[in-house]
Parts: sequence; C-alpha cells; structure tokens
Amino acid sequence: MIHFDNVTKVYSHQSRPALQGVNVAVEKGEFVFLVGPSGSGKSTFLRLILKEERPTQGGIHVAGKDLSRLSNWKVPHLRRRIGCVFQDFRLLPNKNVYENVAFALEVIGKPRRFIRKVVPEVIDLVGLEGKAHRMPDELSGGEQQRVAIARAFVNRPMILLADEPTGNIDPATSIGIMKVLDRINRTGTTVVMATHDAAIVDAFRKRVVELEDGRVVRDQSRGVYGQAYGGV
Amino acid sequence: MRVQFVLQEIWIGLRRNLTMTIALIVTVAIAMALFGTGVLLKMQVDKSNNYWSDKVEVSIYLCNKLSANPNCKKTEPNQSEKDAIRKQLESMPQVAKVVPETAQEAYQRAKEQFKDSPGIAGSIQPGDIPDSFRVKLKDPKNFAAVVAQMSNREGVDQVVNERAILDKFFKILSGLQWAALIIAAIQLIAAVLLVANTIRLSAFNRRRETGIMRLVGASNVYIQLPFVLEGAIAGLVGGVFAAILLSFSKVFLLGRLQKNLQLATPLGWLDVTTVIVASMCFGILLCALASFLTLRRYLKI
Ligand SMILES: Nc1ncnc2c1ncn2[C@@H]1O[C@H](COP(=O)(O)OP(=O)(O)OP(=O)(O)O)[C@@H](O)[C@H]1O
Ligand SMILES: [Mg+2]
Repeated sequence: MIHFDNVTKVYSHQSRPALQGVNVAVEKGEFVFLVGPSGSGKSTFLRLILKEERPTQGGIHVAGKDLSRLSNWKVPHLRRRIGCVFQDFRLLPNKNVYENVAFALEVIGKPRRFIRKVVPEVIDLVGLEGKAHRMPDELSGGEQQRVAIARAFVNRPMILLADEPTGNIDPATSIGIMKVLDRINRTGTTVVMATHDAAIVDAFRKRVVELEDGRVVRDQSRGVYGQAYGGV
Repeated sequence: MRVQFVLQEIWIGLRRNLTMTIALIVTVAIAMALFGTGVLLKMQVDKSNNYWSDKVEVSIYLCNKLSANPNCKKTEPNQSEKDAIRKQLESMPQVAKVVPETAQEAYQRAKEQFKDSPGIAGSIQPGDIPDSFRVKLKDPKNFAAVVAQMSNREGVDQVVNERAILDKFFKILSGLQWAALIIAAIQLIAAVLLVANTIRLSAFNRRRETGIMRLVGASNVYIQLPFVLEGAIAGLVGGVFAAILLSFSKVFLLGRLQKNLQLATPLGWLDVTTVIVASMCFGILLCALASFLTLRRYLKI
C-alpha cells in the first residue's frame, strides 16, 4: 500500500536531511506507529505520502502509484484515497459537526443525496451520535478529534494518516480516540500514526517504525514505544 | 460540481472583505466607464470624420460693399472679374468642382439654418453674406495651394477653409478621447492591483478552508473557482455601474456635442450598447484573470 524505496528528503535551504535512505513497506490493512524524537522526520514521512513534498532521492509508491510519475493535476485524486488527521484537529469553526464532515464530500463534488446518507453513519461510527449540530467550540478536544477523524474517513479512504492525533488530548480520552482508529483499521483501512504517546503504543502492540535523525532505526511488529524514551 | 456550494463560498468571500469589494467595484466601474467613453468618443470622431471629409469645402467669399478687408476697397467685383476668379479656380489641379452661390442664395440658406433661433435669423440681412464660390477639393487635405492663391487675390474678401475648422474641432475631441483613455488605463492598473489585493486577502481569510480542501483532494478548479468568480462578479457589478455611467455619457456628453456642434452623425444606442457589452466583458475577464494569477502566487495547490 505504501512503499518507500531508499527515500531521502532534504528541505531547501537546509543541509541536514529530514529523511535519509528510508526503506519502509506498509501493506494493506496494517496499523503502523511511527515513533521517534522531535525532528526525526515523522511528519515529513507523512507529507511525502500525500505528495505535499517530493523526495530528494528515492521512489515512493502509494496505492500502486509511483508518486514521481503522478502528474500534479492527479494529486487531488490520490488525496481522495488518503484521509488525514492532525494534532490540531483543523475543523472549520463556523460549521457544525455535520457540516464539517460534509464539507470533505462537498468539495470533491459528491451528490447531496450521498452526503446525507453517509455523513450521519460516519458521525455514529466515531461515537458522536446526537452531536451532529454542535459547533466545534461546544465540543471537548477528544470530541473535536473524533469529528476530524470522521471527516478524514467519510470518503472511505484506503489509507488513514494521523500525525500525533492524541497530542492535545488527555490519556483517558486518547484511549477512546485510539479505539476509533482501531475500528477504522478493522474495516481494512491502512493506518499510519505518528506519535509521542508511549502509553498508547505500548497498550496497542502494533507494528512500530522508529525514526532517528531521519533514519529508520527500528521496524518491529507488535512493538513497544522504546526504551530510550522511558517506555516499557 | 456543486453550484450551490460554489455560490455560497463566493458569497462568504465577498462579504468577508466588503470594503475591499466595494473599492474594487467602484474602481472597475470608473475604469470601464472612462474606457467606454474613450471608445465612444473615438467612434464619434471617426464617424464624423468620414462623414465630413467628403463634404468639406473651401469657401471663397468675394468682396462687396460691406467687406472689412482693405484690399476690397468696399467695391464688389463685376461679372467678368467674378468669371475670371471662377476660371482660375477651375483650372487648379486640386479642385474637383466649383459651385457659385449668390448673396441671395446665401441669405436664404442662412435663414433656413437658423430658423430655430429667430433672434439670429431676424438679424441677418440680404447682402451680409457676399457672393461666394464653394470649392470642392479632390483631396480635402490639399487645400494649401488653393488657399494661398486665393487669399490675396483681387476681388476676394475671405477664404474659409472648413477643413481647418473641423480639424481644430476634431483635435479637441481626440484630446478628450485620449484623456479618457489614459485615465481609464491608470484606473485599470488600479483595478488590477485592487483585484490582486482583494483576492490575496480572500485567500488569506479562507486559508483554513482551502487547506482542508487541498487535504481531502478537492480539484484545483474547485479550490480556485470561488476566488476567480469572486473577482469576476466584482467585475460584473462594476460593469453594470459602468453601463449606467456610459448611458449618462451618451446622453449628456455625446448628446450635447451632437446638438451644439451639429455633428450630422449621431452615435446610435446600438453603438453604445456594443461598447457597454465589450467593456463589461473586458472588465470581467480582466478581474477574473487578475484573480487567477494572484491565486497562483498565494494559494499553494
Ligand atoms: N517545511 C520545512 N522546511 C524546512 N525544514 C523543515 C520543514 N519541515 C520540517 N523541516 C525539518 O525537517 C526535520 C524533520 O521534521 P519533521 O517535522 O518531519 O519532524 P517530526 O518527527 O514530525 O517532529 P515532531 O515530533 O516535533 O513533530 C526537522 O529538522 C525540521 O526542522
Ligand atoms: Mg511532526
């Protein structure tokens, strides 16, 4: 599903590479934690998958497509197959829960009938039943992140990328968010989640890819967060 | 393409920076109106020019008892002298036709011409206008030789070259036309800069929305369309105001010119409508294009 083939990324005006010779293959339906200290290149890894950045060297394949051969006007179609969640939720403050989720479908031109059918289903799936008409500022951080997940998932993407989705949320609520991501993973969606949250990584026991200074230093199935940062 | 969604986005965009939008509309309206006025004036000048150039004549007024010209010595030339003048005119290579007009005919014609102004018509006396020759030139531009030979000739009081009078008049008109076009050009530059600024603000105000649109895979057309249409709509509204202003300038400026100066060739409403539609299309396209180019710089796709 996601193949990094000896990928190096050096940002312009920067001498130190953000990623260096990265080889990672994530298969369909996998759940992968991306861990590593700040600045190790986790977000860069995710941005490369979305073709928000281009690799300086190496090849990336996503959903069977060679990103280097994907022309710019086809990038939106790639992104429709990938959902994204961020630490800061990125909801539209002037739209309610339903509208925020529906927005993702409206802007890719989905018919209104379809939107009316699937949006409530997804709102239920992330555990926000009955809150469709709340505004973002009437929701807790955990609930806002559920809205963001609903928006990322409403178009049934093949891949869900999450960049520190529990970064702004307390541990107890984080577990709830993780359960939602797990539920989504069980529908066959590949999930890649960058995180600093040792407790969650240790509790879920999924594949762990660890980055350090832009290199993959560990790739372990059913792994833990890692000794170096005070994990198990 | 969800039409309602796009319209809603445009409305939000226009409302969010209302002051800029108003400034933009006003600027576009003035630019378009001046541009249109310039074009209308040009059309008027060209049309009148064509009309007049086959009609302009050099008029040679002969001496009579009332002539102020000292060469005349207050005496009218006799018939053979008049014939000699006519012969000389007809022998010139530049001259196409010579038509004599007697003082009586001139009197009748003047009365006819000023019949709407009884004051003037009443004050004209037979003999005020002397006998004359109306000389039609083969090419109205080659008047110099005729004027030179006739000016100080015995028996000739005055040589009036209508072409020179018209030229002066057309010079004023084309001066007006250029003034309008130059101001319009400056206004157009201002309009383009304002569009760029408005759209940049709009893109900044809506960066959350466009960021999410990009993320969920909205196509570039979908992301850019509301902005481009926002510019185009401002252009359209400005164009409507410009159309109103242009109608005014047709009625008041051109209308007055035609009345006062007896231009025989009024511009019809068809011409005015053509100019309005053309300048509106031009304004809308310009605004849309300016938005589009601005977006390429400020909205990362
Ligand atoms: N747009 C950019 N331009 C230049 N350098 C960048 C850019 N984005 C990231 N970097 C650099 O690339 C390196 C990797 O950054 P990245 O954001 O991928 O780290 P990260 O692992 O996500 O860190 P964190 O855990 O703090 O989010 C850092 O040194 C960072 O300074
Ligand atoms: Mg990061």
